[in-house]
Amino acid sequence: MSQYNEMNPAPHHYGHHFESAEHEFTTAKQGMWIFMVTEVLMIGAIFVGYLLMRGRYPEAFHAAHQVLNVKLGALNTIVLIVSSATMVLGVSAAQRGNNKRAINMLMATIACGAIFCVVKYFEYSHKFHEGIFPGGMYHYEGLTIPHVPLFFSFYFVMTGIHAFHVVVGMALIFWTITRIKRGQISKQFFTPVELVGFYWHFVDLVWIYLFPLLYLLG
Amino acid sequence: MSNHHDHQSGSHHEHYIIPDAKIIKTLFALLFLTAVTVGLSYVHLGVFNFIVGMIVATIKAFLVASIFMNLSHDDASNSVIFTSGFLFLAIFIGLVAPDFFFRGDVSTAGKSLLLPVKGTSKFKRPWEPTPEIVAHGKAIFQQQCVSCHGDAGQGNGPAAGALVPPPRNFTQDAGWKIGRKPSQIFKTLKEGIPGGAMGSFATIPAEDRWTLSHFVASLGPNVLKDSVEDLKVAGVDPSKDTLGDAEAPSISVRDAMKILASESKKEGEGNLKPGNDGLSDYDRRLDARTFNPNP
Repeated sequence: MSQYNEMNPAPHHYGHHFESAEHEFTTAKQGMWIFMVTEVLMIGAIFVGYLLMRGRYPEAFHAAHQVLNVKLGALNTIVLIVSSATMVLGVSAAQRGNNKRAINMLMATIACGAIFCVVKYFEYSHKFHEGIFPGGMYHYEGLTIPHVPLFFSFYFVMTGIHAFHVVVGMALIFWTITRIKRGQISKQFFTPVELVGFYWHFVDLVWIYLFPLLYLLG
Repeated sequence: MSNHHDHQSGSHHEHYIIPDAKIIKTLFALLFLTAVTVGLSYVHLGVFNFIVGMIVATIKAFLVASIFMNLSHDDASNSVIFTSGFLFLAIFIGLVAPDFFFRGDVSTAGKSLLLPVKGTSKFKRPWEPTPEIVAHGKAIFQQQCVSCHGDAGQGNGPAAGALVPPPRNFTQDAGWKIGRKPSQIFKTLKEGIPGGAMGSFATIPAEDRWTLSHFVASLGPNVLKDSVEDLKVAGVDPSKDTLGDAEAPSISVRDAMKILASESKKEGEGNLKPGNDGLSDYDRRLDARTFNPNP
């Protein structure tokens, strides 16, 4: 296999249980969409919990959300949107067989993901410094309205699960770059790049809802 | 090599490849919409802030899904699959939210529910304390309040230990969150005190809540009087002799069921017979903790 690399990819052999390579591709894609529905339902359930509690304790949630840093949240939104664009550019490059460009775009996407994580690190460490923790370790003195800690529990769970997905996404993109470098991706077979791209866009989608709900509320 | 592994046979029927220009245009659209979202958050539109914010977020999500994720050029089944996830979410919140936010609310404004709820006190002008009114209030106190506030109203009932903040000691002047006048006690009974264990006792009919308020007030170091203003704020028309229908209380669903079931009782009609109001043992055990207007 060592003669294959991104400039000279190997021919792709689709699995025997499929009628054609196209069949394999559309099947994989549909499987990915079904997986994303499960993710929608999982994160959606937490959103529903958040909305219910927000409706029940509006003053507490309104006061608590003002502690969040809107500028950093907006910066993270921009970073993720740009990363989605670089991801699509990478996928379309792979679809055209331009593997070098695909690698560059994917690396740019990982870089954006890293920026997101760094910003998140600053946000979380600032909160911990103030005594804002999820659950039992909470000891923030800045707000005395009852039920404020509930807001922060939701904040940490939702942004935490999201950040975990960002890290997993970065690992998946890295794995995809490795596959391209090994010559496993070509104009005829770019499924992994496309599907990892879907995963990344989904992570962006969740943040598109998280940001206004948590940071901007209103 | 086996000949069905024909790597060319991937019938590549036109797989749409999104042009770079379209990607960049969509990127700018998304950035613009982000600026809109942030900008709008500084404008106070009340409840519309939330609605508009969610609409803008959904437009962005639609752009990402249809263009970046290529749903617009893909098999329709993928769009159906993805949308179905959101449909389930809509059902989830659509059914849970109305239940969650309206629990325990059955308005008694219709006649059949209001009459039995009007109260057992039959006192004229129940907002003015008399020894009979205070005694009537004491009977209610012993049914409803002793578990937390104690026999003598000192805040030391059997259930008080676990409560934060602790139940009010009615014999002292200090600490009353809403106030010690009968009209203020009446308000506390009606609305409860958020953030603690004192719930709303609006299920107790208004006349009875007044008698109860007078009893609780009588436990204090001295009895404070309500001014005409205080009474008006509490919903009383001092020129009348009764409270009238001004306050149609909300009652719990369970109480509403009992009243409706008892009204529709006829000999041998379905499962409802005199003495069987159609509620389960579980409901009955819970009922022992609530005030029954028809003992």
